[in-house]
Amino acid sequence: MSAEIDALIDIVITGKIKEAKGATQKCLDAGISAKDIVFDALSKAMEVVGEKYAAKEYFLPQVLLSANTLYQGLNLVLPLLAGEGAESKGTVVIGVVEGDVHDIGKNIVKAMLTGLGLTMHDMGKDVPIKDMLQKAKDEKANIIAESTLMTPTLAGMKDMENFLKEEGLKGKIFTMVGGGATSKEFADQIGADGWTYDAVEASHFAAKLLGI
Amino acid sequence: MSMTPRERVLAAMRMEKLDRPPVAVFTQSATIGQMDALGVSWPDAHSDAKLMAKLGAGQATVLGFEAVRSAFCLTAEAERLGCKVDPGKKNSTPMLKEHPFKFDPMESVYDEPNIMDPEEFIKGGRPAVVIEATRLMAEQYGKEYAVIAGNTGPFTLAGHMVSTENLVFGIIMEPDEVVKWVDAVTPVLKTYSQALADAGADIIQMSEPSSSTDLLSPDMFGDYSGRFVKECLAGTKGAYSILHICGDTSAILDGMIDTSVTGLSIEEKVDSAEAVKHVNGRVPLVGNIGVVKPLLQGTPEECAADAKRVAAAGFNVVAPGCGLSAMIPNENLMAVVKAVKG
Ligand code: B12
Repeated sequence: MSAEIDALIDIVITGKIKEAKGATQKCLDAGISAKDIVFDALSKAMEVVGEKYAAKEYFLPQVLLSANTLYQGLNLVLPLLAGEGAESKGTVVIGVVEGDVHDIGKNIVKAMLTGLGLTMHDMGKDVPIKDMLQKAKDEKANIIAESTLMTPTLAGMKDMENFLKEEGLKGKIFTMVGGGATSKEFADQIGADGWTYDAVEASHFAAKLLGI
Repeated sequence: MSMTPRERVLAAMRMEKLDRPPVAVFTQSATIGQMDALGVSWPDAHSDAKLMAKLGAGQATVLGFEAVRSAFCLTAEAERLGCKVDPGKKNSTPMLKEHPFKFDPMESVYDEPNIMDPEEFIKGGRPAVVIEATRLMAEQYGKEYAVIAGNTGPFTLAGHMVSTENLVFGIIMEPDEVVKWVDAVTPVLKTYSQALADAGADIIQMSEPSSSTDLLSPDMFGDYSGRFVKECLAGTKGAYSILHICGDTSAILDGMIDTSVTGLSIEEKVDSAEAVKHVNGRVPLVGNIGVVKPLLQGTPEECAADAKRVAAAGFNVVAPGCGLSAMIPNENLMAVVKAVKG
């Protein structure tokens, strides 16, 4: 790996937010493709950050800092990806289900999936299930990613599975669920395509699902 | 030992030796079962003192717990300070719709905290409803039961005003702005806590979920939350104080004690026996029956077993580890009461 890529990885992990744009530009100047910057630097760095968070070596403020550092670089290279003819690896509609305003975890998952090179449509928090589904249809999304930390709002995730079945979209649009109130058993029970414990796993899972 | 439930709860606050610990809900206590039994429900009970008093007493009058508690949510203060709140439904708590102030660490744009005068704060809106409900509860139930009044902690309230995520992010980007905001909401909470005590609350239970270790590292707790909690509660006269924080608080138990509150309310992510050992009689512990498992999803037998486990571990008050979900069935809560009271 090149020195420029290594430098960018370090900048994202340590959250040197002001240096991110410059370091990304240096990668481009060194002839590294936007695609390689996304996958070999930004995405990798965010994975390390996620691991540090899981190990309680990082806490949420550091994760938010790294995520915002990542976006600095990403904003520079994302427009170039299209020009390189590198297609988006997939499209994801993400949101926190209706009745729940806990959105910090969702935002971290979004950062990880963005790092993976997916096109993200973030519906925010307290989103009616039908709105999320409509957006997924409009954007021809591959994945709907739903988050909730609250038990009463779990029902919305089940509704999503039912709506997808009713409309014959089950298996055409994949569902991933997560957040404190969810579990592997719950996801299996409602028939969601995937569940993960944290954001790092979420990006591995999405990558597998889409064959990246 | 013949003592009223109130005497028992207050004795537990003083860590007196008892034949058994009291059993009471210190955090959000209302459930559908109580609403149906009393003919009072959310969202009406959030903004009407009489209804709040009646439903807040339900844990005692319907289920047999040994306290009553006012307020069912953590949005009353934020609404009074200008946040838009959706009142929710019968089975869902009120929700903040937006944060009225700009606090953007990425763009370095920080609104000045422009917070209402404390005396004005307690005169209107839902804080005034909660104060009046507390007064009614003290009058109607206060002889028999301990009266608990719940309010919101300063870091959590500041997060409501400017967005919790931005506030947490601000700790790295612009710590002075974070401190400025938490400091700015502290006076209203201090005055509010005293007003609740003056209205007849025996115990002020302050919830500070946003300084959970899921959001702040343990070494940030004191600087951004703990010292302000202290400022809110340490001077409160005429009532005990209990600080509740969600999540795994193992690493901040000492910091919570340093706020000089009377006692701590902690959730099931903390090992009960470890907590008792660590706190070692310095303050009373309230908790920590699992709210989702077993209370919401388990059987009455599992709930009873968990209550006994907590009592055996040495908790001073056997209580749910966090606010109740409205959907928790009566049978499960009654099983907890029976397991402790016999
Ligand atoms: C901070 C917090 C708040 C903040 C939220 C600020 C915000 N903008 O998000 C505030 C103070 C506003 C708040 C409000 C309330 N809260 Co709160 N809150 C918390 C707390 C302490 C931390 C949550 C958090 O941000 N964690 C950090 C993030 C990074 O973790 P995470 O969300 O789990 O995300 C990770 C994984 O789950 C996963 N993931 C997340 N989403 C997804 C999605 C997919 C697709 C995948 C694959 C993975 C995935 O990846 C993430 C990163 O690794 C939790 C307690 C806890 N220990 O979780 C309670 C908690 C979630 N809150 C709770 C409650 C009850 C409330 C209130 C009702 C309180 C009240 N009475 O007013 C209100 C809710 C209002 C509403 N209707 O939504 C309860 C929920 C109980 C339940 N099971 O139903 C909890 C569990 C506390 C408890 N023990 O009782 N809360």
